[in-house]
Amino acid sequence: MPVLAHVLAENTREGALWEPLDSRRIRCYACAHGCPIFEGQPGVCKVRFNRGGKLYVPWGYVAGAHCDPIEKKPFFHVRPGAAAFSFGMLGCNLHCPFCQNWVTSQALRDPRAMSPPLAASPAEIVRRALELGAEIIVSTYNEPLISAEWAVAVFEQARSHGLLTGFVSNGYAGPRALEYLRGWLDLYKVDLKCFDDRRYRKLGARLQPVLDSIRLIHEMGFWLEVVTLVVPGFNDSDDELGRIAGFLAGVSPDIPWHVTAFHRNYKMDDTRDTPPETLARAAQIGRRAGLRYVYSGNLPGAIGGGEDTCCAGCGARLIRRHGFRVLDYRLTAEGRCPQCSQALPGRWAAAFRPQRGL
Amino acid sequence: MAYVIVDTCTKDLLCVEACPVDCIHPKQDEADFEAAAQLFIDPEACIDCGACVPVCPTNSIFILEELPADKADFAGQNAAYYGK
Repeated sequence: MPVLAHVLAENTREGALWEPLDSRRIRCYACAHGCPIFEGQPGVCKVRFNRGGKLYVPWGYVAGAHCDPIEKKPFFHVRPGAAAFSFGMLGCNLHCPFCQNWVTSQALRDPRAMSPPLAASPAEIVRRALELGAEIIVSTYNEPLISAEWAVAVFEQARSHGLLTGFVSNGYAGPRALEYLRGWLDLYKVDLKCFDDRRYRKLGARLQPVLDSIRLIHEMGFWLEVVTLVVPGFNDSDDELGRIAGFLAGVSPDIPWHVTAFHRNYKMDDTRDTPPETLARAAQIGRRAGLRYVYSGNLPGAIGGGEDTCCAGCGARLIRRHGFRVLDYRLTAEGRCPQCSQALPGRWAAAFRPQRGL
Repeated sequence: MAYVIVDTCTKDLLCVEACPVDCIHPKQDEADFEAAAQLFIDPEACIDCGACVPVCPTNSIFILEELPADKADFAGQNAAYYGK
């Protein structure tokens, strides 16, 4: 572990999202923790640290990079079928016991998690994305907010090649980080993990900043989709799912809500997997709350039509999916229903291109 | 989980200044600061981030699972300070 921490300490540069707090501390603004950091110490994420009164942040490496279908992020209202080049670093500002990416996210907290970093430059990442035919580039696998400066460096290059840019994030952002990202980030996926502050604290965060960020991400014009990993016994009660859905519908009924199935993992290997009936119930709760686009994820084909996009106007089935595969696509070039001309919210492509390699 | 402060605490307040969720009290401007023998962590507000541990000059903060046996009472004492 000290070796990994040492390697990461070398792969840094001075960050942008911080300011001096007093004579002994600086404050980091990359996420809603807003850590007050003493000289020589890291923030909660353990990858942003105070050295000589300046904040140093992750730079110049990836812990993983793969080309995935955009459906895997998941974004369902963004260029269906497009390839999304996905890159991640190490560390997280939370420590969820049900993390599905803990090998990268908890690398600095948990000695069992090992995912060695590989040197990379923004230009190399974007070149690889283009070689693989990606239309979108996404910071994911670990929490992108804690390496926001690096993401912006990659996104600057990506934008110049016409790529869309995305974050797959826990949404523990703050106004300053979102303002910093505004010019460079198109797509923002937030995990809304539960609707109870006390339980959010057990994951290492507070509920209210996540809710505030969801509202702000929507208002600032990022394309927002929200995921709730439905974990039996943690957040699967009717009341809790209803409060999540009600909150989202109150921000906008056009926000796609993905209710996804938990698979035993990390520190919750004694919790049962989410059964299809629970996902179907969650989806029904979402629709009753007024959400127009609710999707069941991680159990391909288990819930009839649960992965499909239907027109909010006439109900026509416009995109059929099975897991990450797009089986049928009927939107017009303008992103409208061909039957009733209802516009669907999203970042649609002018034409659907069949997926490769699936 | 949550972290626990034990009786070697000298109330220097560095942990308060490092905590991102303001779950360590009493603070210097609070009424019972002078009377309190030590600082305490609110176990329900604590987010288990551990930011308080490395800044403590007296090594008085432990994660619950690693609380020394002879300090086991302090988990209850921290909670009791908050009426929990």
